Amino acid sequence: MQSANMLLRKIVRSSVLPFAAQHGMKKDLFPLSRTLSLSLCLKQDKSCEPSEKLDLDEWKKVMKTGLQEEVSETVSEPKELSSLAAARETLEMWRLAGRAVPENISEEQLKTFMECPSKSAKKKYLKYLHLKELHKKNDKRKMDEKRERKLEAQDQASKMDETKNSSFICMWSSTMNKAYNWRAAQSMIFGQPLVFDMSYEKEMSVREVANTVRQIALSESCNRRSVDPFHIHFCNFKDDSLYHTEFIKQYREAWGKLLITVTDQCYTEIFPKDKLIYLTADSPKVMKTFDHDKIYIVGSMVDKSIKTGVSLARAKRLGLETAAFPLEKYLLWSTGAKNLTLDQVMHILLTLKDTADWKKALEFVPKRKYCGFVNKPVNELKKTLDLINTFKLGKGREEVRKQFPKSYPKKYKLK
Amino acid sequence: VQPPEKPLQAEEWNKLRENFQSPEIFEEVMLNSMIRCDSPIDVAKSLLTHLAKRNGDIAYNVLVKYLTLCVQQGQVSEICDVYDIMKVRFKILESGAYNLLIKGLSNSDQWRMALTLLEEVKKMMIPSRTCYESCIKAASRHQEMKLAFELYDEMLAKDVVPTLDVLQSFFDCSRGMKDAELQKELFGILLYLRENQIYPHKTFMRSIKLWFESIPGGKWRGHLTNIKNSGQCPVCNHQLEDSNLTEEEYSNLSERIIRDVIHGTDTFRKTSPQEFEAFQTFVENRLPFDIVIDGLNVSHIKPRKMQCENLFDAVNCLAKENARLLVLGRKHMLINSSNWKREIMKEMQNKADFFFAENISEDDAFLLYATLRSGKHCKFVTRDFLRDHKACLPDSLTRHLFRKWQRGHQIVLKKKSFSSVFSQQPAFRYDCVVQTTGDTWHIPYKDVFEEKYSYQVPRKWLCIQQK
Repeated sequence: MQSANMLLRKIVRSSVLPFAAQHGMKKDLFPLSRTLSLSLCLKQDKSCEPSEKLDLDEWKKVMKTGLQEEVSETVSEPKELSSLAAARETLEMWRLAGRAVPENISEEQLKTFMECPSKSAKKKYLKYLHLKELHKKNDKRKMDEKRERKLEAQDQASKMDETKNSSFICMWSSTMNKAYNWRAAQSMIFGQPLVFDMSYEKEMSVREVANTVRQIALSESCNRRSVDPFHIHFCNFKDDSLYHTEFIKQYREAWGKLLITVTDQCYTEIFPKDKLIYLTADSPKVMKTFDHDKIYIVGSMVDKSIKTGVSLARAKRLGLETAAFPLEKYLLWSTGAKNLTLDQVMHILLTLKDTADWKKALEFVPKRKYCGFVNKPVNELKKTLDLINTFKLGKGREEVRKQFPKSYPKKYKLK
Repeated sequence: VQPPEKPLQAEEWNKLRENFQSPEIFEEVMLNSMIRCDSPIDVAKSLLTHLAKRNGDIAYNVLVKYLTLCVQQGQVSEICDVYDIMKVRFKILESGAYNLLIKGLSNSDQWRMALTLLEEVKKMMIPSRTCYESCIKAASRHQEMKLAFELYDEMLAKDVVPTLDVLQSFFDCSRGMKDAELQKELFGILLYLRENQIYPHKTFMRSIKLWFESIPGGKWRGHLTNIKNSGQCPVCNHQLEDSNLTEEEYSNLSERIIRDVIHGTDTFRKTSPQEFEAFQTFVENRLPFDIVIDGLNVSHIKPRKMQCENLFDAVNCLAKENARLLVLGRKHMLINSSNWKREIMKEMQNKADFFFAENISEDDAFLLYATLRSGKHCKFVTRDFLRDHKACLPDSLTRHLFRKWQRGHQIVLKKKSFSSVFSQQPAFRYDCVVQTTGDTWHIPYKDVFEEKYSYQVPRKWLCIQQK
């Protein structure tokens, strides 16, 4: 019966709107009175279908009666709320309204939230917290599941009571760490220096600094694991800086035991100037080979709002040589900025150092940013790519042929 | 999902819900589609009743959805009921619900209640501009112009930007009223348009025209017209305001450009202090120029031609009547190459002054500086819209000044096919902004879909004069 009804409804779907208008008009003939009790009985007999006894306003009654106790509670509460409590209250309402708002929020986060300068900044911050919370929850759930599975497996293993024979000693991570640290210690004496320039704090927001520190930690760990690590230097590092607090958050007590050199001096004071090369995507010079005698400098900066030329300006000011990775030469670039994350840079440099193979090194550039490696001259590749695009758009062959000379003039302004 | 047409019984709702793929969000999805199809309100009510019976409670977001439906259909008493319920149920409401309540109530006889609600919102946050919009419209619809203007002033004081709709409603609702105070307020709105360089759209323009013509005893007449390139209005022969900046504005702008565009946070980002100093002495020794040319930009006008040839044509075309030219370029132009022939470069250097910046410096910043230093008569040539330089300026007032100056001083070269003659798009002589002389008003307006870029200005005008 119900499904038949539905079918019929779908057929007469087009007539829904006029029907609604009619219906609405009919209802307007009975002016709704403000008091609920009165309007209740009125509607009960008139606006419902005769066969059904449906009290349309019953939900109001339910909502109101359920409230009586609560109301008395709220009355006794002090009306004035502190601004923090009021903000918490607003957040709760937003959550109820179904916006992207975290369920739990700490005092500190609430303060940051209130300090956001605009509505959109507030929204963004809340969404960030919300997503963070979701990730955390998911991770926890996965951990729990894993633990359960592990326990089960252990149970089974104990039932089987089987001992494994192996000619290798089980290498625990602590042993591995010892080996890595030994290598890192060696690099501190004999290794090639690699400088992280920690002087960009002013250019970044708090979150960008946190991201930077995270990326540096990743770079440091992959450096430690490599066969021939760099001797990492943090230069221009101030003890009371945001970098410092973030590093302590990241590493905790291990911060003091890291096998790297941290100094508040500038790299120009430590190393001879002619050996320094500043790596920056804005550099007009393209790096051809990795030089084992040079000291490369990487700017410790995450710039989400792309700030062009900041690190190039720094190198210019100090009169240093600069270089950019030959991304254009080896990769057919598709989207994204040419600035890479610090850990990607570290991976590329380590690979170059070991193998001097650009192709292998540039594997670490995120795949979404390029279409493929260049095996032909770049111009030809671009042509084929454009041909493919034109065919996709469905243009005629002649048109394509005509377009060629037009779309490839040398009109790129020199930067 | 297709919402039902009639109110359903609890069992029927249950059945529908079970058939739905994810029953947890069934109510939300159903209400959303009811809002979309504008279903009769009784259907929504039956759903709420079913919900209330099942859970003994109705979630906030469902209530808000129901409220949306009520507002959409103008069910005033329902809106009031929902508000009553919400008020007891929740300590405070969030902005979405307030927006809806105010919007719903302001369109009814209960519009004064919307005002009290607005007061309530103010205690917690800055009301959104839709809130203000609804209240102002309601007040002016009921001829409470004083109240409407109070709200409007309050809105501006809180940096909430009014929509053109609100401004238009002021003109619509004051039609035919004779009230000196009111007239002053409306002139104030026109000046607001002037200060913020806002151009009304066609319907708004019509409201303005009708209001002017309806002022009893005002004898205002409005005409639609196009202004000549000379800046003269063809209807009243009045000369429009000059596009030149005042002395103060001019010095203010040059100062800002040097400070924020050229130096910015770090002089090294666009040039270097040595280079900038060298450029400054170069310019000071040769001042003033008549035209400053962005050499690299101009050299790309015709892609099939050699770049230095393009530049040569442009210089020849502009070097008339002993105009003093300055061409800005980069050092790589001096190296003999397929695009840059040394002989042609030499020949050009006899006709114009040249300054070559480092290859990694930004020449646009130098272009702005040289033009501004040369004085008000100096123009510059580039096809660049200079958006990125405008963006370096910190406040909207200076950005407006920059745009105005740019309109008055930028010459754009356009290529004519197969000939070496360039046509020039002349710089604007008059200022494109709402303006008055007391007994005339000139108001530029735009057709709705035209002039959507910040560098474009409307060409159509409303001329109003008092007879």
